[in-house]
Amino acid sequence: MSTPATTPAAKSGATPALDLAGIDLHYGYVRALAGIDFTVEPGEVVGLLGDNGAGKSTLLKVMSGAHRPSEGTIKVHGREVSFHSPSDASAAGIQMVYQDLALVDAQDISTNLNIGREILRKGPLGWMGFVDHKAMRKRSEIELDRLGVRTAPMTRLTEMLSGGQRQVVAVARSAIRVSGESNGVLLLDEPTAALGYEQTRLVEGLIRRMAEQGIAIVLVTHNLPLCYEVADRVVVLNRGRKVADVPMEGTDPDHIVGWITGARASMFDAVP
Amino acid sequence: MATSAPASPSDAAPAATETVVPTGTDMPRDVALLVFIRDRGIFILWGLLLLFFSFWCSPYFATWTNAMLVANAAAITAIFAAGVGIGVMTGVLDLSLPGTAAFSACVLGWLMTHGWSVWPALLVGMICGAVVGLVNGLIALRGFNPIIVTIGTLSALSGLAAVIAGGYTFPGLDALTFMGTRRYLTVPAPVYIVAVLFVIGTVFLTRTRDGIRLMAVGGNAEAVRRSGIHSDRYKVLGFVVSGLCAALGGIVSTALTTEATPEASPSIIFNALTAVALAGVALTGGRGSLPRVLVGALILATIANGLTIRGVQPYWATVTTGVLLLASLALERFIQRSVSDRLMSSANLSVHAKKV
Repeated sequence: MSTPATTPAAKSGATPALDLAGIDLHYGYVRALAGIDFTVEPGEVVGLLGDNGAGKSTLLKVMSGAHRPSEGTIKVHGREVSFHSPSDASAAGIQMVYQDLALVDAQDISTNLNIGREILRKGPLGWMGFVDHKAMRKRSEIELDRLGVRTAPMTRLTEMLSGGQRQVVAVARSAIRVSGESNGVLLLDEPTAALGYEQTRLVEGLIRRMAEQGIAIVLVTHNLPLCYEVADRVVVLNRGRKVADVPMEGTDPDHIVGWITGARASMFDAVP
Repeated sequence: MATSAPASPSDAAPAATETVVPTGTDMPRDVALLVFIRDRGIFILWGLLLLFFSFWCSPYFATWTNAMLVANAAAITAIFAAGVGIGVMTGVLDLSLPGTAAFSACVLGWLMTHGWSVWPALLVGMICGAVVGLVNGLIALRGFNPIIVTIGTLSALSGLAAVIAGGYTFPGLDALTFMGTRRYLTVPAPVYIVAVLFVIGTVFLTRTRDGIRLMAVGGNAEAVRRSGIHSDRYKVLGFVVSGLCAALGGIVSTALTTEATPEASPSIIFNALTAVALAGVALTGGRGSLPRVLVGALILATIANGLTIRGVQPYWATVTTGVLLLASLALERFIQRSVSDRLMSSANLSVHAKKV
C-alpha cells in the first residue's frame, strides 16, 4: 500500500512505455473489446482487473501481439507499431509471462533464462555454435541479483524447483529480456494464482523491484489484495469496455469491486 | 488469500523455520542420490552385468576379442538407437528409420553398381537420409501425428527401395568393406563409426546452441517459441538428424554384408527403441542423453553375448531384455514418485500443500 513514492518515472507525463488508443476487437459478431484506451509508463505497475469474460485476456493478447485489433493504434515508447505475431511484440520490448509458466522442465535454470539469447564461446568453437555455459550462468546470476531474487543454483533443473521458484524463474526470464538500456513492458497473467502465502510475497517483491528499475508492468489478476500490494494504478474492464482507470492509492476497494461486477456505473459515462 | 496466512498454529513453528527461505539453496541428500541413480543407474547396471558375466562366463567373456564382438554386435543397434533417441528427445517418434535405411542403402547400391565411386555414392546415400527427414518433418509440421506420418513414409520408402533394386538386391559391394568387416588396430570399423557418431551427437546436444534448443523444443516447444525462437525449425532438424542416423545405419549394415537389400526390417526399430527405453529416455521428450542410449545398446549386446557363451538358447536373451526393460520402467516410476514426494515434504513446500 505504500507504493507510489517508489516510482520516480511514473506519472511525470513522460512518454508511456505502452500506449493503446481506441482498441476495438471483433470475433465475428461478438465485440470483445470496445474503444479501449490504455497506457502504462516506465516504472509503473498497472493492475488490469475484470470479471471472467470482461476482456482482460483479450486485451493482454492484443498487447502481446497474439491478436490483432480490428481498430485502434498501439504505440511503444511513442512509436506506432503493428504486431503480426508475439515475436514482433517481443522484438519491440514487450514480454508476456503466461499463467502456464512454459519452462523447460528437463533443463537447468541457466538454460531456461538464456534460451534465445545464448552466449557463444569465443573463437572457432563459437563459430561452430558452441555455447559458453559458464558465462551464461554468471550473467544470469548477475541479472537475478539485480532483481533481488536468489533462487536455487543455476545448474538446478527447473523440475526440481518449488512453485514459487518456478514462477520467479518464469518472471525473471521475461524481465531480463525487457530490462537493459530501453526498458520494456512486462505483461503478467495471474502471477500468483498458484502460489502460497510466502511465495506470493516473494513474487510481489519481485514485481516492485522490477518497477523500480523502470520496467512498465501490466498485471492481470482477479486478486484485489495483490493489486493493493503492488499496483500504482488500476484499470477495470467490464464486458469489453473500460469502466474505471484510477490510482490505487485512496481508492475504496468496494468501488473497484462495484466496477468489476458492473454494480457501479462506468466512470467514463459520467463525463460526456 | 489472507485466510491461508496463519497456518495451523500447532505446526507453525517448525514450518516457519523451514519455509522462511523459499529459495532453498541445496537439494536434500536423498533426493540427490535418487536423481543420481536415475541419471547414472544404467551405467551401474551395465557394470554389474559385465561383472556378473565375467565370473559366470569365465574365462571367455572378459577378453579383448569378446569385447570387440560385443561392441561390433551393438554397433548397428547403437546407430539406429542414436536416431530414435535424438528423435524422441526432440519430441518425435520416427518410425520410418528402417525404410530410410533400406532406401539409402539401395540408392548407394544402385550408384555403386552404376559406376559411381565410393565416396560420392556414400555422400548421396547420407543426403537421402537427410531429405527423408526433411520431408517427414515438413509433413509433421502441418499438424499430422508424427507416428502416422513416419509409418506412411516407412511404407513408401521400403516400396521405393524395392523399386530401385528392381525386386532383387545389390550384392558384391566389396568397396565398402573398409567401413564394414575391416578392423583397424584390432577394432572393427563400425565401432569407430559409432564412437564418432556418439561423441559428435553428445557434444552437439549438450554444448552447442542448436543442440540445446533442440532438446528444449522436445521438452517444451511452447516455452521455446515464446522465447522468440522458431521452434518449428528445430522440430524439422530433429527429423533430419534422425534421418541421417538411419541412413548411416543402413549404409553400415550394407557395408557389413557387402549387399544392399531393400528389406526394411522392423526389428531394427524395436531393438533401437528397447535401447532407448532402457536408457530412460522419456518418450514425452526433452530428456535423456546419448551416452546412456549407447550403454542401452551395449547392454542388449552384452546379454546376448554372455548367454550365447554359456550356450543358453538365444530366446532367453530376448526374454531377459524384456524383463529388464519392464524393471527399468518400474524403477523410473518409483524414483520419480520418491523425488516429488521428498521435494514436497522438504523446504520447497508451498503453503497450499502443507494445509493438508
